[in-house]
Amino acid sequence: MIYAGIDAGSRTVKAILLDGKELRVLASGIADQGIKQADLAESLLKDILKKAGINRKDVGKIIATGYGRNAIDFADTTITEITCHACGVHHWIPQARTVVDIGGQDSKVLRLEPDGGVRDFVMNDRCAAGTGRFLEVVAAKLEVSLNDLGGMAQRAKKASAISSMCVVFAETEIIGLLASGETPENIVAGVQMSITSRITSMAGRNITDPVVFTGGVALIPGMDKALESAINHKIIISPEPQMTGALGAAILAGREGLEHVSIIG
Amino acid sequence: MNLAPKKITLTEWDERFIELQSAGINQPKYGGPLRRYLTDGDLRLEKLKFDNSPASLNLWNFLLTEEDRLHASRKEGRKIIGTMKDLGTVPVMAYSLPNVTAFYPDGAWWTPCVMEMSSGVLAVADSLGIDESFCPVRAMLGAFVTKAHFPDPDLIVCSVGATCDDFSAIAQRLNGLGYPILWWEILHRRKPERNEQSVKLPGGFECPVGQVEFVESELQRVKLAIESLAGMKIDDKRLCTGIKTANKVRQYLRELRQLTFTARFCPLPALELLIAEMLAIHFCSDQQESLDVLSGLLEEIRKRISAGVGFFDPDAVRIFWVNPVADLRVMNLLEDCGGRICGTDYLFCHALDEIPLDIHPMNALARMALADPMVGSTGDRAQRICNDIGLFGSEAVIVSRIPGASHCALEGAIIADEVRSKMRLPVLEIEVPPLADSILPSLNTRLTALVETVKERRKK
Repeated sequence: MIYAGIDAGSRTVKAILLDGKELRVLASGIADQGIKQADLAESLLKDILKKAGINRKDVGKIIATGYGRNAIDFADTTITEITCHACGVHHWIPQARTVVDIGGQDSKVLRLEPDGGVRDFVMNDRCAAGTGRFLEVVAAKLEVSLNDLGGMAQRAKKASAISSMCVVFAETEIIGLLASGETPENIVAGVQMSITSRITSMAGRNITDPVVFTGGVALIPGMDKALESAINHKIIISPEPQMTGALGAAILAGREGLEHVSIIG
Repeated sequence: MNLAPKKITLTEWDERFIELQSAGINQPKYGGPLRRYLTDGDLRLEKLKFDNSPASLNLWNFLLTEEDRLHASRKEGRKIIGTMKDLGTVPVMAYSLPNVTAFYPDGAWWTPCVMEMSSGVLAVADSLGIDESFCPVRAMLGAFVTKAHFPDPDLIVCSVGATCDDFSAIAQRLNGLGYPILWWEILHRRKPERNEQSVKLPGGFECPVGQVEFVESELQRVKLAIESLAGMKIDDKRLCTGIKTANKVRQYLRELRQLTFTARFCPLPALELLIAEMLAIHFCSDQQESLDVLSGLLEEIRKRISAGVGFFDPDAVRIFWVNPVADLRVMNLLEDCGGRICGTDYLFCHALDEIPLDIHPMNALARMALADPMVGSTGDRAQRICNDIGLFGSEAVIVSRIPGASHCALEGAIIADEVRSKMRLPVLEIEVPPLADSILPSLNTRLTALVETVKERRKK
């Protein structure tokens, strides 16, 4: 049986088709988020079904997760992104005990049980300072693309000190730093440090190795090093970090589908 | 008439009220449809879901008519005492006298909980320099200034010392506006040194005998002031009778909590239980009526339990809740997300313990005051929470922070760490502002994730 997971995040929507028996990803896709979230997700699902040559009626169950999960009206059910990210990361890296997920507009730290279940979690979705949104703001201010930020941070001689606790004020601070002659590279490195220090204060003292980094921000070069330095633990970037939520949703759809089969069987 | 337990909206209560009236149900003198409070400005009621029992209707009506009772007390010539930053000690003394009504001006923090911003009390507090960096209890200052919620008390009594810093600052501001306050000092509860004689306190704590003696002497000053105002003595006999009545309220609440937390089907929603628990502090300005309201509620839930009916599935996740919320919708949200209340610490759990009757009554009140979770260490509070978790079988804990409340910022992490390490339970920390509209979706995600986490743990 084939199962689908859809992660309707704040910046992008992701979808995965999974072979429920072999737990093998058959197809996946990603699209920018928009106002008509259900339509976007439906269209993405159609695209990946086509790509994999699979008929919609062969999909046993669809689970939606993410910020916009309740808008995905064609999903069979919804599960929070906390549970789905834990499941997705555990699939890739079964020994993971801590997951740091930094997305476009939120960030979370999950502590996992040895079997991949969630032991505990903390989440920040009220302040942009610990999220990918901060990187978008600095990229816009420096007139570079998000993809350029990693290279810039690597060329930095010294990370600028960004002391503001709020992205709005940090933006003003960045203007001041540029005016005082600070290099854009140092500023980008400083912003990366600022984001990861927010994660550190959110995570508290209870970080257990191995720590896996997931979410779209994990794709930006240098963020893993900044995180590693901030939390003082070695970081493993999850395979396909943007897709772990959708993958977890698809795996959980498979589990729920199997439970259903065993009940009716 | 359908009497099955159900959570209903205000509009559904309109219809249900007509049904109850047609059925000839007895209403207390303050009874009536809940809709009338919406017309008076209690806008939040339209967004809540309520228990559909007549007993809960009485509870809501009792709560929402407190201002009327206070104004009636004034007209009757009763002496009115505002007992501030006192979670259940001075009111016991006050209600020992027949011509005194005590109330809890701090309770005005509830005003935005039911009126949202329509009362304007927070804006008044802002204008007096007590802005949102303070606890929402600052609404009390606005309520004093607007005089729209309660009559000016004949006497204001306020504890100070090892209490809430925010509240002390707010009460001092009130004092500065010309309201005389009788301050009494409460000490920070500490463990006795080796050479000090120890006293056991309700709730399982202990402190040096010297602390009890000091607090008792402070309460004696308050007692004298109340006697002088009322023109009669609070003798030991009267005080013991007052303590027995307060203990009856506490007994009812303990049973209500025990039954609600442990029944297979939850017999009472979290919102109504929260309001019922608040009666322990100040009796909603009528001690005898508090007893009647609580006994009605108890009777209803006993009936529900014996009939095997209640709310939610039996597999609803059992949540222990720490601190009251400033937006009441969050209590509804917990249940919408698959949780049920199973243990609470709304900062006054000592007011649910019985006041000792085998010692001198003033000494007993001093011990109660020192058992207040706010005057001891957070570690003590966390320990009591862990004990209750064990007692009620809670599966997860939510620590709800109150924005601006300085104690919340400090306590949350300590309580969470203690619960995680001692009870091995998941803990969720949230913050609930008086208007939580913008964060309800994210609160929904967190509460749902906590419920999912517990359900996953159950499979192991």
